[in-house]
Amino acid sequence: MGTNRRKFLNSLLSIGSLGALSAIIYPIISYLIPPKIAEVKVNSLKVGPVAEFKNNSSKIVKFGRTPVILIRTVDGNFKALEATCTHLDCLVQYKNDTQQILCACHNGIYDLQGRNVSGPPPKPLNEYVVSTIDGEIRITSQDERS
Amino acid sequence: MNKKYLYEICSILIIFSAISIFGVQSDATNNSSKYVDECIKCHMENEMMPEHFSQTDVHWQKGLSCAGCHGGLSNEPDEEKSMSKSNGFVGVPNKKEIPEFCGKCHSDISKMQLYQPRITTDQVSQYYVSKHGKQLKVGDLNVATCTDCHTTHEILPASDTRSTVYPINVPNTCNACHGDSKLMEKYNMKANQVEEYSQSVHGIALLKNLDVGAPACNDCHGNHGAIPPGVESISHVCGSCHVNNMNYFNNSVMAQPFSDNGINSCEQCHDYHLIEKPNDEMLNVHESSTCTDCHSSSDEGYLSSEFMYNKIKDLSFLYDSTKVISEEVHIMGMNNIEIEYSLKKIKQSLIQSRTIIHTFDTAQVFAKADEGILASTNALILADNEIEEYFNRRLGYGITTFIFILLAAALYWKIKGLKS
Repeated sequence: MGTNRRKFLNSLLSIGSLGALSAIIYPIISYLIPPKIAEVKVNSLKVGPVAEFKNNSSKIVKFGRTPVILIRTVDGNFKALEATCTHLDCLVQYKNDTQQILCACHNGIYDLQGRNVSGPPPKPLNEYVVSTIDGEIRITSQDERS
Repeated sequence: MNKKYLYEICSILIIFSAISIFGVQSDATNNSSKYVDECIKCHMENEMMPEHFSQTDVHWQKGLSCAGCHGGLSNEPDEEKSMSKSNGFVGVPNKKEIPEFCGKCHSDISKMQLYQPRITTDQVSQYYVSKHGKQLKVGDLNVATCTDCHTTHEILPASDTRSTVYPINVPNTCNACHGDSKLMEKYNMKANQVEEYSQSVHGIALLKNLDVGAPACNDCHGNHGAIPPGVESISHVCGSCHVNNMNYFNNSVMAQPFSDNGINSCEQCHDYHLIEKPNDEMLNVHESSTCTDCHSSSDEGYLSSEFMYNKIKDLSFLYDSTKVISEEVHIMGMNNIEIEYSLKKIKQSLIQSRTIIHTFDTAQVFAKADEGILASTNALILADNEIEEYFNRRLGYGITTFIFILLAAALYWKIKGLKS
């Protein structure tokens, strides 16, 4: 009876030791051979309450690795577009006098739909979806929406 | 019996009528798509079709018959009648007549609107203000007319990639004459423009990278009103695309002296057909600066160039260094998002500084470059912090692992001691 109990305890201790050893060895192996985990992708971003944005103004926000320009138009609508110029990756800015988007590097101009209307930009700016949830602005990528 | 007979006759008649009606319609359709008119029929039978005739020709495709341009009657099989002057036959125009010949339709908005509502009809009037048009007017038959660029019977819209006037094909079309040294000699012109152009930043973009947004000959010289840009207009020609550079230059201290001395603004530093991709070395007064063409080591312009060169080189070096370190941080698995944002700012500052050079104002160039230098300093601090954090984590993990191993060994010896 006493031998059986000792055997059982020894087995329990062996299993426990093996578990503890695995807990030490696994992180070492993971450290030496890192797992291929893709970077967490940002799909949605809370920007702030609607009241913070005046009409005919803009703000550049960081949507993960992508800068996004959030524009509140003169009539109070919101528009979110990728803020990187499609010509040479400069940051674009909203011109509230002409109500257009300007890239100051080479005078590239986009309209409020993000369409390249003059200058060297070869294609339009990517668009993001803007929604208002409980009075707060939220920007979502087109991929996430579809 | 008679009734039955009558029904049969009626049925046959109806079937015949249907066949004949549809048959005629079908023939008509075929005729309208293939234009087998009497001109074509006869010229094909006698193997007298015009040289390079192609059924892809835009006029042919739109249903215009030979008579549409050459006059006469395309539905008249009798040669005497179809090609009679009394029936409007004009035959083959001589070279001097060609612009007006094409202009019969192309200068008539009511005719052209049928095909393209937004088409322009000023091609012929533009042509006559061009060098080609002016020379043709005084009887020079060596110059290009409509058909030299657009071909005669295989004309395609400019949007068609096979067209001689499709952007990528334009340099070769112009080169057919402008690359002919014997012909160009008569006008005291060089015949290597297209050769030079093809080595230029614009030529490489268009002809090698097939970027149809890059300018071809006509984008600088005009299409039908082609003229060489003069001293006054050259900056406007370049400035139609390079807007910032033109504005900076025109408001700079250099604009007036350039104008007073008859120096072509952009061309002086960038050349014209052989425009190389601009690089920072153009400011390097010690080696290959374009500034030293006019400035010597003792003057202000020389020093400005030297200062701007050093500043931009510093910023460029910082941009490259930050880019490398950002990549290192990323490979370490640390967060480099903020560093990437700073990199964008540095790049933007570098691009803008290079453009602001056209103000020739060192203060403006320095102010813009300093924005990039500041962004780079911040990015490098961020990168250092991330790298330090990486090594701290590594050290912490090493120490923890060591303690765990020590603990496991101690536990082992303790159990062994208890057993004995």
